[in-house]
Amino acid sequence: MITPQMKIDPDRCMKCGFCMSVCPVYHVDHIENHVARGRNVLLRMVRDNELTIEDDYRECLYSCLLCRRCDAVCPANLSPADITLEARNDVVEKKGMSWIQKIIYWGILNRRSLVARFVGLAGLIPGLSSKGGRPLHHLADMASFIPGVLSLPRMSLRPLRKRVSMVTSPPPDVKERGQVAFFPGCIFEFFLPDVGEDTVNSLAKAGFSVVFPEGLNCCGLSVHNAGDFKTSCLLASRNIEALEPYDHVITGCATCGSALKDYHKWFREGDPMAEKAREFSKKVSDFSEFLVKNGFNGGSADHCPTTVTYHDPCHLRLHQGVYLEPREILNSIEGIKYLEMDNADACCGLGGSFSIAHREVSLGIQDKKMESLKKSGAQAVVTSCPGCMLYLAHGIRRYKLPMKVMHISRLTR
Amino acid sequence: MTITKDIIKRLNKILGDKSVLVSRTDLMSFSYDATSNWQGMPEIVLFPTDIKQISEVLALANENSIPVTVRGAGTNLSGGSIPVSGGIVLCTSRMNRIIEIDAVNFTATVEAGVVLNDFNMELAKQNLFFPPDPQSYLAATMGGCVAENSGGPYGLKYGVFKHYLLGMKAVLATGEIVSLGAKTIKNVTGYDLPLLICGSEGTLAVVAQATIKLLPMPEARQTVLAVFNDVITANAAVSKILSRGVRPAKAELIDNWIIRRIEEAAPLGLPVDAEAILLFELDGAVETVSMEAAKVVELCFNAGATDVREAKDKKEADNFWTARRMGFSAIYGNAPTALAEDVTVPMDKLPELMERIKRIGEKNDVMIVTMGHAGDGNLHPCILTDKKNPEHYARAQKSTQEIFDAALELNGVISGEHGIGLEKRRYLKNAMPPEAIELLKKIKTVFDPRGILNPGKIWE
Ligand SMILES: Cc1cc2nc3c(=O)[nH]c(=O)nc-3n(C[C@H](O)[C@H](O)[C@H](O)COP(=O)(O)OP(=O)(O)OC[C@H]3O[C@@H](n4cnc5c(N)ncnc54)[C@H](O)[C@@H]3O)c2cc1C
Ligand code: SF4
Ligand code: SF4
Repeated sequence: MITPQMKIDPDRCMKCGFCMSVCPVYHVDHIENHVARGRNVLLRMVRDNELTIEDDYRECLYSCLLCRRCDAVCPANLSPADITLEARNDVVEKKGMSWIQKIIYWGILNRRSLVARFVGLAGLIPGLSSKGGRPLHHLADMASFIPGVLSLPRMSLRPLRKRVSMVTSPPPDVKERGQVAFFPGCIFEFFLPDVGEDTVNSLAKAGFSVVFPEGLNCCGLSVHNAGDFKTSCLLASRNIEALEPYDHVITGCATCGSALKDYHKWFREGDPMAEKAREFSKKVSDFSEFLVKNGFNGGSADHCPTTVTYHDPCHLRLHQGVYLEPREILNSIEGIKYLEMDNADACCGLGGSFSIAHREVSLGIQDKKMESLKKSGAQAVVTSCPGCMLYLAHGIRRYKLPMKVMHISRLTR
Repeated sequence: MTITKDIIKRLNKILGDKSVLVSRTDLMSFSYDATSNWQGMPEIVLFPTDIKQISEVLALANENSIPVTVRGAGTNLSGGSIPVSGGIVLCTSRMNRIIEIDAVNFTATVEAGVVLNDFNMELAKQNLFFPPDPQSYLAATMGGCVAENSGGPYGLKYGVFKHYLLGMKAVLATGEIVSLGAKTIKNVTGYDLPLLICGSEGTLAVVAQATIKLLPMPEARQTVLAVFNDVITANAAVSKILSRGVRPAKAELIDNWIIRRIEEAAPLGLPVDAEAILLFELDGAVETVSMEAAKVVELCFNAGATDVREAKDKKEADNFWTARRMGFSAIYGNAPTALAEDVTVPMDKLPELMERIKRIGEKNDVMIVTMGHAGDGNLHPCILTDKKNPEHYARAQKSTQEIFDAALELNGVISGEHGIGLEKRRYLKNAMPPEAIELLKKIKTVFDPRGILNPGKIWE
């Protein structure tokens, strides 16, 4: 029996190198301490006091996308991504965070829209934002913007909350089949509210009355991935609480979805929240997963491109195992032709703050994606994650491809 | 410290600073390979991207007598890529272009850093087949495989790397670039130099490109699983099958302990109560394959198998082979230190070798688990131990020695595919006559007069 403890025991890594065969980061830079195998060795050495937590050890810890491709191939049945996360937490606990991280995380906890506004404004400040630069994935990515240069889509003047009502009912000609709670996530809420609207409307069109609950927070994944488990668990608790009254929680953001479904792993063994989170995660579905489970019946989409391809977000395919559903949806919509591209499941390169802290590698990963997109010949690339959308759009601009980026709910609304 | 600031500057100039690593944390991850008991720190790690850079690096290293250890993916199991003398680690992983796949002549030319699995995927698109299949193929590089003369389960029917190597572009220790061999299947022009470099573990020259021959993809494949009550009967069964003229592409053995560990890690459908299993693959034309599979089933039963069945579909077959590939990990993942041996004996001596290994384990009170390429007499008895427990570790090492002695007494060799490296160098004098070792050393001096290439390997 492989226990959860064994899955994060770096001693069990036998340096077979299989993780190197799938790691997007290693494929670009070939530096071994940027992949699970090398990182495990360093971790052991730090633990055994053969190495200190110097800056470049930190750098190795944060040069992982936490995409979990290695989890899937590791023959020792380790979870190298979880090993890395634990090590990040260890560094945060021992060394603390930078002041900027502290401010941002405080902001995310207490004044989310203010932080969003600040991030949005920051995106407009010359020098901080550049036209072809990098968009932000999460508010927490702010934490790492200082040395780099970043750009964002302009923060929407009317966030999602101001655009959709507390409850969106199915259109009059559609019979109501039940109620769901919608979890928007920061990007939909503040930066791409029109896509958030599409998701809400699609769910309503499918016969669900969609509640936009009060009191939701950032999903917390960026904070968690940065190693600050305390703050992330607080965010998780608040979200679980706010969503308590609902039986179904749907999100159109692959990243938020993977966080919500994983909340139970965030709390330590014995924490009473762990059990609650486990129950909670059962009611979370990704948007496409939910639609297909409830018998999505196709339909036609007007004003849509005729040929589309699909990009698998790591957070959906690898973290949630959802990849057939979006394709099923795309294949059943009248008037569009679905083209599967090569390496549809290859990472877009964003990886949250990774794209800022490790710009060159991130662009190297993006290069590969862009080549596949180009080869696909599709008029639009559809995906299920607003983070991927921003980064794909960035790549498409960089490569000048004649292609649109869409969230899947644009075609089902 | 053999590498001065000035040399670093010159190396930076040759390669560009993105291809040079010097920080301790970075160096650390080039200090090990897939063995669990060796480590050595390089002073600098270099990532050449073309053969000219390799040539300039070697010329500089030779001029200053700086040790150079080549590394592909560092998956070898012999300590081969560990820079025990410090100096430079020359990592080929960024030289990973497939230069040519020639489907008309059935040849291909690849750079040293191409990963075997990536190469196989490209070949599959053109219905071509490159048989040598070290079970590290997900990560191992073509250059590393040439240098180790690697092979895997397909060795039984198809041979190992050296049987496919036609030519190469290599860089000599002094920096000269040489083209060796050709693109033809037959070639008797002088000594077969590519073959000499194949299996030389990075001690003679740096392989920059290799030209190899290919085969057409077999039309059909069938996997057969046979269950036995003991390991020795299983091994004897393989001999019987081969002597009846059936030549499976693979015939692999896994013992009970390993079966259980594999199934614990990921249930793949192996029978956990079996003392030993044999996994066969038959390949070729559709009719031949189904005829041979039936024959293997019958012969296994005759040889004492308690259960034999053909994999019902491709998915089940894939699962069985995945399980086999998990073998090493199952061992390393479940013991603090594992000494994975690689002894090989003539086929008919296999049951006797197994018998002796069993006795050695009992006598020294250590756990020895076994898997291997039963079809070609190449076994991997693995001794489970703990380096941090000196008393136990000593008994484990004694067992290693005795296993080697047993293999040699049975007219076998101490390494079938993993190479000598550091792991087995102290046994070399038992495994080779002194005149032959002298010859090795003389050849080494001709290729590498200052002894900069992978010093400290193969012999003591
Ligand atoms: C899980 C697992 C299973 C394995 N199964 C098998 C198996 O079935 N059969 C088998 O044969 N081996 C097996 N091995 C051993 C190993 O994978 C092979 O020896 C492999 O060929 C090494 O390739 P590499 O790229 O990792 O080379 P490395 O480990 O980097 O190097 C191996 C040696 O070759 C030298 N070298 C590397 N590249 C070059 C070059 N371009 N020019 C000159 N010298 C070079 C190095 O200096 C070193 O001495 C296994 C290993 C593991 C971890
Ligand atoms: S695949 Fe797993 S066991 Fe192998 S090197 Fe990577 S982390 Fe270690
Ligand atoms: S989680 Fe992804 S990026 Fe991180 S080591 Fe594993 S494969 Fe590489």
